[in-house]
Amino acid sequence: MAGQVGPRLTRRALLAVVLLGPPLAACAPAGTTQAQTPDPLVALVDAARADAALAAAVIAATPDLAGRVAPLRDARAEHAAALDAEVARQAGRSATPASRPTAAAGAATLDALRRSVAASGESARQAALGVDARRVGLVASVAACCTTYAALLG
Amino acid sequence: MTQTPTSTIDGPTTQALQATLGAEHAALWCYSLAVAFLVEPQQSQARRDADVHRELRGRIEQTLTQLGQRPVSAQPAYATPQPVTDPASAARLAVVAETDCQTSWRALLEQTSDRGLREAGLKALTDATGRGARWRAVVGATPVVPVFPGRP
Repeated sequence: MAGQVGPRLTRRALLAVVLLGPPLAACAPAGTTQAQTPDPLVALVDAARADAALAAAVIAATPDLAGRVAPLRDARAEHAAALDAEVARQAGRSATPASRPTAAAGAATLDALRRSVAASGESARQAALGVDARRVGLVASVAACCTTYAALLG
Repeated sequence: MTQTPTSTIDGPTTQALQATLGAEHAALWCYSLAVAFLVEPQQSQARRDADVHRELRGRIEQTLTQLGQRPVSAQPAYATPQPVTDPASAARLAVVAETDCQTSWRALLEQTSDRGLREAGLKALTDATGRGARWRAVVGATPVVPVFPGRP
């Protein structure tokens, strides 16, 4: 029995590879597959959550900064949700509520936040150069928002 | 932007470039009107912002010409969403102009995978977001920085 099931599953798996192989290969750079290439937006989701957490920590440490920093905290939380939804859409799964690494270790200062959001803006800008047409608007908006906040906090 | 290889720029991209040029024409017209009603220091800010739009307009026109396209012309006048009668309404018009430019630059990004155009579009979108944020602060709009600049 087991001897019959094994080969049958193998043939089915092979058929799946044959059917799915060419489109996947067409989507991925040469020499890689989608499974091996992490979605570049995952890093942007993590950065957005880290910025939101850092902004919240800055407000907790210095409540007087709430007026300047709360909009940034809220924007980065919205970025994280939108980017994660896009990652989920491409992966064919539902969005994950915040579960990834949050605030980086370090002082919760306005200057640290400015540097963090500036780096996030540059990462998003780099990503926007390479993502497909469906994603570029979202990623470009995130880049523009982060870079503008970095300038305002400077 | 002007050294972009033509091979990766197709019809939809040139259409989006023309739309972006139209938004830049409109922004220049808006600033020329706004300057007449603004007071310092916003008046000087508006002149500086208009200079940037003039520079962008020239670069888009040059790019389109190099692509063998005839750049669209400016309209003689544009309809403002609200009458411009004082500094506050003039600043609101600047917000509208920058918001429209953000939308058209983001739309251009969605129509091209050309790296040079993507870089130019990202810079233009980001710069328009920064200018827009200054004007939004003037008129008291919140948040000062839109969460998704350029999203229609």
